[in-house]
Amino acid sequence: MTLLEAIPTTTATPITLPTLLLSAMIWVPALGAIGLLFFPTRTEVQRERARSFAIGTAALVLAFGVFMWYGFRDQSGTFAYEETRSWLRGVGSSYHLGVDGVSMPLLLLSSILFVVAVLASSRLREQAKEYFTLLLLLETGVNGVFASLDYLLFFLFWQLQAVPMFLLIARFGGPRRLSAAWKFLAVDLAASALLLLAILILYFKAPVRTFDISTLHDLAVPAATATLISWLFFIAFAVRLPAFPFHTWFIDAQGEASAPTALILGGILVKLGGYGIIRVNLGEFQDAFHRISGAVVVIAIVTVLWSAIAALAQDDLRRLVGYVVMSHMGLVLLAAASAAPVAINGAVLLMVADGLTAALLVLMAAAIVERAGTTSIRAMGGMAAHMGRGALFWILAALAAIGFPGLASFIGQFMIVVGAYPSQRIATWVAVLGILVLAGVMILTVQRIFFGATPERPGRLRDLGTLELFNAAALTTFIVLLGVLPAILMDSINFSVLSLLSRGSG
Amino acid sequence: MTLALLAAAPKGPLDTWSPTLLALFALLLPLIALLIVLAFTIDSRRVSAWIAVIFTLAAAVCTFLVVAIEVAHPLHLERPATFLQFFTGQSGGAAEFTLQWGVLSDPLAAELSFAVALISLLVQIYALAFMRREDGVVRFFGVLLFATFAMLGVTFSTNYFEMLLFFGLVTLSTYLMIGHWWQREEAVAAASRAFIISALGDIALLAAVAYIYFRFNELNFQALSGHYTGGRVSANGLFIMAILVFIAAAAKSAQFPLHLWLVGSAQAPAPAAALIHSAGSAVCGVYLIARAYGLFYASPRGLALLAIAGGLTAVLGVLWALFQENLKRAIAYTTMSELGLMVLALGIGAYGASVFELFTHAWPKALLFLAAGVIIRELRTERLPEMGGLWQRMRFTGVLMLIAVAAGAGIPPFSTFWSKDTILSKALELGSPLAIAVITAVTFLGAMALVRIFALVFTGETARRRRFEPDRIRDAGGRIAFTMAVLAIASLISGIRGFRGRTDPIAFVTFPGVSLPNSHFVAAGVIAASAVLGAVVAFVVYARRVPVPAALQPVRQAMGEGFFIDRAYRLAAVGIVLPVSRAAAWVETRVVDGGLDLVGDSIEFAGQPRRWLGEFRIRPLLIGFFAGVVVLGTLAIVLAGGIIGKTG
Repeated sequence: MTLLEAIPTTTATPITLPTLLLSAMIWVPALGAIGLLFFPTRTEVQRERARSFAIGTAALVLAFGVFMWYGFRDQSGTFAYEETRSWLRGVGSSYHLGVDGVSMPLLLLSSILFVVAVLASSRLREQAKEYFTLLLLLETGVNGVFASLDYLLFFLFWQLQAVPMFLLIARFGGPRRLSAAWKFLAVDLAASALLLLAILILYFKAPVRTFDISTLHDLAVPAATATLISWLFFIAFAVRLPAFPFHTWFIDAQGEASAPTALILGGILVKLGGYGIIRVNLGEFQDAFHRISGAVVVIAIVTVLWSAIAALAQDDLRRLVGYVVMSHMGLVLLAAASAAPVAINGAVLLMVADGLTAALLVLMAAAIVERAGTTSIRAMGGMAAHMGRGALFWILAALAAIGFPGLASFIGQFMIVVGAYPSQRIATWVAVLGILVLAGVMILTVQRIFFGATPERPGRLRDLGTLELFNAAALTTFIVLLGVLPAILMDSINFSVLSLLSRGSG
Repeated sequence: MTLALLAAAPKGPLDTWSPTLLALFALLLPLIALLIVLAFTIDSRRVSAWIAVIFTLAAAVCTFLVVAIEVAHPLHLERPATFLQFFTGQSGGAAEFTLQWGVLSDPLAAELSFAVALISLLVQIYALAFMRREDGVVRFFGVLLFATFAMLGVTFSTNYFEMLLFFGLVTLSTYLMIGHWWQREEAVAAASRAFIISALGDIALLAAVAYIYFRFNELNFQALSGHYTGGRVSANGLFIMAILVFIAAAAKSAQFPLHLWLVGSAQAPAPAAALIHSAGSAVCGVYLIARAYGLFYASPRGLALLAIAGGLTAVLGVLWALFQENLKRAIAYTTMSELGLMVLALGIGAYGASVFELFTHAWPKALLFLAAGVIIRELRTERLPEMGGLWQRMRFTGVLMLIAVAAGAGIPPFSTFWSKDTILSKALELGSPLAIAVITAVTFLGAMALVRIFALVFTGETARRRRFEPDRIRDAGGRIAFTMAVLAIASLISGIRGFRGRTDPIAFVTFPGVSLPNSHFVAAGVIAASAVLGAVVAFVVYARRVPVPAALQPVRQAMGEGFFIDRAYRLAAVGIVLPVSRAAAWVETRVVDGGLDLVGDSIEFAGQPRRWLGEFRIRPLLIGFFAGVVVLGTLAIVLAGGIIGKTG
């Protein structure tokens, strides 16, 4: 649209500087992580310096992301900022990176959320350096998956996320963090094994020995193999999504991980599952995915409904946030199963919106839990008297979570429902019911936390601090901006979704 | 008079956009005021309140000009203007899928937007004085501005998507208004209930939009109005759409059994309640039906649904109103019955009359709530049995309340007489005995319910209560009196008709194909007679405080409790939702998670990793990790690149 046309653009040629931007977005966090290891952290000043370095690294990546976004124009139908370097030529793999309208918004989301997460970790005292190292390593893994156009590379980056995430949960979480961390690791490794299996079957069944994503699609292999591969990919991604019944690792991790970790987990890590389904299942194995879409739809609506019903019974505020994210990812799955352009557009937008919303929810939930001294929603009440600003931002986040008009996820949900309806009628009805139940849960939660009778509290509790306020305000700005002007993302998303769908089927 | 002068003005060429632009201004002014208040003046109560009032005044002027242009230039093109494109793209089929936000100014939008902006302005002037000693004044004015913005957005919507968007905003604004006194448990519970019922309606609208788009590939109201009858969709399909749109409207406009939130909305501060009931979320459901009338008009079963649901709501509402012991709840139930009457009117094809009723009903209802606010503040009770004898002490409020009661009851020549008369005329024209009976009965009982309120508040003796001095009661004055007087004048004159063409309020808003309603003398006579009779009966009975006969006691109790609907809702919540969610929680922890827990717990049980993890330092681990990556990576490149490279 006009807004995008006004933006100065650079055409990405293979040798010029912009091409290296994508590599920079992946490797700068890793270099920062290594650099961070050499910082001494004996005194408070030194720790502060290390923290500033981590913030600087994340901010630099964000700056790259914004720069890329400004120069991003996806009109050729292929990938922008494409970079191909020879790597493992013998096995048919190459260092092939590129972004399109589907991955670019998510990449931008990732770089925003990592800055927020690093900022939100300010009060960490012990092992702060190691913590930031892990966080930056994780960013390399996440950005790498979004940018990879080669299955081997995709898998390596995917695998790179497991260990840092495991350590982050296991070392910096709540009382039951170890159980949650082991559960995450076990499930994630099992899912990665399926992913690797799918990639290897594909590699050996294909007529050409290559790992290139766009070369290997479902027409390259026999139909039965394509269906099998599609199933394997789907389950691997659905575990990450998290789809019912593989979601409990996610809820546990949300409940136990520290706020910044939970923010990354719910905000961007689970989006990789949705991204994988759209990029691989839908983009490359569309016919095969169509054959299994009946089962996918069932899983999608069970995910939406189950998360809503489980949220009804949930008393732990942080776990509740997990169910909210799960419900949205169920809608993304529904959109993918419908394979309708409007719905896929909505799904990509919803993933970005939900990433921002989940981040705000997680931060506010952590702030509330810290002040109330309990995670139990029923034990709270009357908190608005203590934290007026906290109440404002939590209500905003809750409204954003239920797809409230004018906030980011509204248009995403709307487009998913309208787009998915023609091909998945009953499922769409059920999903709409799930949205309604979730809306009720969120509004009752607002009531229980903030209003009504106040339990006895020693003295006055602190309202949101400057840093919390800054993070919340920044996320809210993005949420409102996307809710009012989704066109700033939608045009490029739409173009890429159309070309992705036509490539997969043609 | 002004309208007549405008109609006589020369009809030169008029840019098609000028009413549209005025409508845009009217819509954006409250939003701008809200942003100014939030950004700059949030700490100053006085400045914030005055900014709200001044911007709303400007919006009211804009909407008045829109009305004037619509009256004076009946032939100007009524095209929706688009200002913001959310999304444009291929839907996969041939059609292009667009989501846009624009403004449509036509007579229907003009009429309601004028009522919204003016009542919002008056309510804010009232609140300047009324809320002076309350907490959260800035928040209150901010919410009023937000509600005004949302309602104006509903009125100017060009398509279903936009309507859905603003319906959501109306839901939120209602929630915030009812929950203004958030320390009160009842207020918060009522607010949550309003939100959930409203959200149910919004989601029904979302489903309706999905279905309509699926069938017609179109969401624009004007473009759609030609499609419904085109035979593209079967009668059943149209009926399903009509049901969904009706649910959305019913949740907002309190049609039985989605009416519960409206009664709870009495928990809002008086000015906010006045806005909700006269020009807020309570009327935007009726407006939605009027806007989507082509759909109902194309589906006879849809019209029948409106007539039946509306009639039922009207009768039940007025019966409940008669037995309420709480002043604001009693007024709220009369709103419910009026809304039912409007929906019934739409159902029997009295399109213009229904919209006219929407307009004439707004003024007395706002006045009733504002007067109730003053009365409750002075008496410090909301219970009708504890009131009485105020005619001596609050003469001014009493006179205005009398006007509001007369106007709401339909006593000639006050406002709703004219609209009820045209609704009944249409029913007579149709010859439907049921509709005639319902309209007459609702007029009679509605007059009784309103006069009952007046009689219980103003006649008799003030009940003695502890720590209450009747001598300290003060009548309304200053800004409060001014706003109430303006509303009283509007209640007097808003029903007047008789000019030709568009200056006749009934001919102003028309729907193609629906004949203009004519007033029958019979209808006028029946309405006038039943309203006056109802008023007299009620005055005789209630001014003398005739006790309820023993035989009617159970009826009274049932009615007072709203037919136990509330209890049924609660039972459903406790009996269905709670067990389901508990069962889900059990399955979640025991079955779904059980296997995984086994993994986590068994590793934990092993003990060793736990102790190790509890004490380990991450740094050496990380250095090892990086070293491993480097070694493995080098090996991989050297070996794989070298060895396999040769074979491949």
